[in-house]
Amino acid sequence: MAGELFDEYDPESFFDEVFTPSGEVREHYVGLLDRLRHFTADDLARRERRRDAAFRSQGITFTVYEEDEGIERTFPMDLLPRVITAAEWKVIEAGLEQRVTALNRFLDDLYVGERAAIHDGIIPWWLVTSSDGFSREAFGVPVPLGARCLVAGIDLVRDGNGEFCVLEDNLRSPSGISYVVENRVAMTRLLPNVFTDAPVRPVDHYGRSLLGALSRVAPPAAGDTPTVVVLTPGVFNSAYFEHVFLAAHMGVELVEGRDLVVDDHVLYMRTTRGLKRVDVVYRRVDDAFLDPVTFRPDSSLGVPGLMAAARAGNVTISNAVGNGVADDKAVYAYVPQMIEYYLGERPILPNVDTYLLWEQEQRDFVLANLDRLVIKPVAEAGGYGITIGPSATEEELDKCRADICADPRNWIAQEVVSLSRHPTLVDDHLEGRHIDLRPFVLTSDTVEVIPGGLTRVAMRKGSLVVNSSQGGGSKDTWVLAPDPIQDEDPSPNATPMLEVTGDVEVTA
Amino acid sequence: MRLDIRYRSSFTYDGFVRESQNELRACPCTDEFQQLVSYRVTCAPSAKVASYTDYWGTRVDAFGTRAPHDSLEVLAEATVDTRERPLPMGLSRPELLTDPGFLDEHAEYLERTPHADWGVEITRRAAEQTVAAGPDVVGWVLALHRLVGASLRYERGVTSVGVPVDEVLAHGHGVCQDFAHLAVSFCRSQGIPARYVSGYLFTRDETILDTEPAIDAGDDAVRVQTHAWFEAAVPGFGWFALDPTNQSAVGQRHVKIGHGRDYEDVQPLRGVFSGEAGASVIPDVEIRRLPMAEITTHQPPGRLLHERQQQQ
Repeated sequence: MAGELFDEYDPESFFDEVFTPSGEVREHYVGLLDRLRHFTADDLARRERRRDAAFRSQGITFTVYEEDEGIERTFPMDLLPRVITAAEWKVIEAGLEQRVTALNRFLDDLYVGERAAIHDGIIPWWLVTSSDGFSREAFGVPVPLGARCLVAGIDLVRDGNGEFCVLEDNLRSPSGISYVVENRVAMTRLLPNVFTDAPVRPVDHYGRSLLGALSRVAPPAAGDTPTVVVLTPGVFNSAYFEHVFLAAHMGVELVEGRDLVVDDHVLYMRTTRGLKRVDVVYRRVDDAFLDPVTFRPDSSLGVPGLMAAARAGNVTISNAVGNGVADDKAVYAYVPQMIEYYLGERPILPNVDTYLLWEQEQRDFVLANLDRLVIKPVAEAGGYGITIGPSATEEELDKCRADICADPRNWIAQEVVSLSRHPTLVDDHLEGRHIDLRPFVLTSDTVEVIPGGLTRVAMRKGSLVVNSSQGGGSKDTWVLAPDPIQDEDPSPNATPMLEVTGDVEVTA
Repeated sequence: MRLDIRYRSSFTYDGFVRESQNELRACPCTDEFQQLVSYRVTCAPSAKVASYTDYWGTRVDAFGTRAPHDSLEVLAEATVDTRERPLPMGLSRPELLTDPGFLDEHAEYLERTPHADWGVEITRRAAEQTVAAGPDVVGWVLALHRLVGASLRYERGVTSVGVPVDEVLAHGHGVCQDFAHLAVSFCRSQGIPARYVSGYLFTRDETILDTEPAIDAGDDAVRVQTHAWFEAAVPGFGWFALDPTNQSAVGQRHVKIGHGRDYEDVQPLRGVFSGEAGASVIPDVEIRRLPMAEITTHQPPGRLLHERQQQQ
């Protein structure tokens, strides 16, 4: 029924995205699998080679840091898309909107507000001040609409029961959206037929949505058509491809620090026709490198005087400085309480159970159960520094134990989530691989969740680490529209629903 | 005591530079024991000054210029009224240092920071003093304050901002910043929250040890550098200020600019410029005692009288 590709496929005991525990194809995958029935593994392998060649020639790459070296890799995209139903997405979307709204409220409360959540005992002050991401330099710097976290990437996983929960928040410079868009483009070229009749919601409007959101947080004096730029650290940054991509999709300038200058607390970019005022900086430069006057004096990536210009209300820096305090993995544990406190609502998407190691009882429990928990450093992103208990060596566990005891604030422990699996092409056949999902959330005067997001795949068998910086891959991610006709994006640039043929399969 | 302070920093470059951006922290704060009367900042070449209060409560004046220049001078003029600060009375039990509320409030003043990143030797020496001083935080702070005086010799010109505090202790000499960082480190190593204070000291007075030399600048006026001392949080009392360089209490002659975890948080002047030139900086502070003004009641922190003068 599922075709020869699936002949040997075994979902084992995991929650499988495609197959039910009894081996039936889930309803929302029936159409897709039917269209893939005629493909052999060879057909797919050939297309994978075309994909790799195309990605390489377009420079769709990611740098993996190992030892002291940066290795340039294409970001592998598996050809079997991941499908999310309209009903599932409705819940995810509402949950993300709620979560990101609360996180923005918290950040604004902290940096320009009364610190109400601190005074009311929701989040301990010491936890805030001890967070590496807490930026005292951002204190008092306003952001229009309180949209301090304008772009959020929230990592979701599905547990053994298929329930979506939040694994971590990325509120600084979450990357990956370019792969979401490029994966879709690649899929429509490599396997146009699989989109037949599938009401897949488009993602290629991201550039317009981002530009719209950035324009709405411009200082009031900027008028109706504010000047937006993308600030990149430069070609050596692992996500440089994405910076180029975003500037191109928004139709704005991609600049480096040396292209910008502050004069009398106003930001300008140097152009061939002199200086041009800049109203909004979508920056992909880390806080510490943004302004050598305020932060690291040795940084040449930033713009001297930028923070003072932002503080004077002459330019908006987005994402705002200091967001790291809210995606600190120990502060993460308090997000459900933040949602209840700021919004008076029950959290829609649950957190993964998290142990806070400065609490004696929780620490004792964790130290005694290290081999069945996941231990993460609180301030790292990209999967660096994680120890997965069940697969760690005795030595690794000993080191972990010592690290925790030396600085309990710097670590959290979580239950191992048995991430859902998805059939993934491995050589000439399909195997189950663990996946997660990073949806992207834009906040300005409204909150917009881009349908789908980046599905990351742990390419190594059995691995639970999906981060692209750890060599993971990705999948095109389909969110099905509730109604294939009414929900279609009217834009001519939207991903087309290709070749409507007689092969009808209603999958809504 | 009413004091008039003129803080001047002159950058001289051996060529033209452009695009200089700076932040000045030179304005005396207003707190329970001192009141800012007037303040203004001017710079040459002229620049628009944007002022704000930072996280620590210190006034910051940000200014920059794109015009090519071979020197840059900033002048901050302040008039401030100061009073004596009371000394802690009675005992403060050390158990109170670990009270969860006290810890939560003071956590950031207990951490290691780049200039107060102490090692075992500092902890060991500090512990000897606290054990000997008995169960009283005030006694601990005073003992640690004296320990700084016994450990370091003031040596003008040996500026060591950037030298780890452990090495400062090993060398046995330093300037006021080093004294303050060592005091902060001793305190934190014993669980006493402590903060670094940047300010001015009016030293033309025989009651204060003349270890910070001053050049006579005329009638009842002195020329000094900016000064540094520390404050320790004493449970049940509050912030207890001491001047370890002079081994004295902090009184009317001390004018506080602000505090932070260490020097970095209250650095008087920081900035960058672009250009190939090398730079030399001559900071200069002149403090003059004015005829005594009536300081009767304390005014709450509020708008500066001469706010309109701050921008030129």
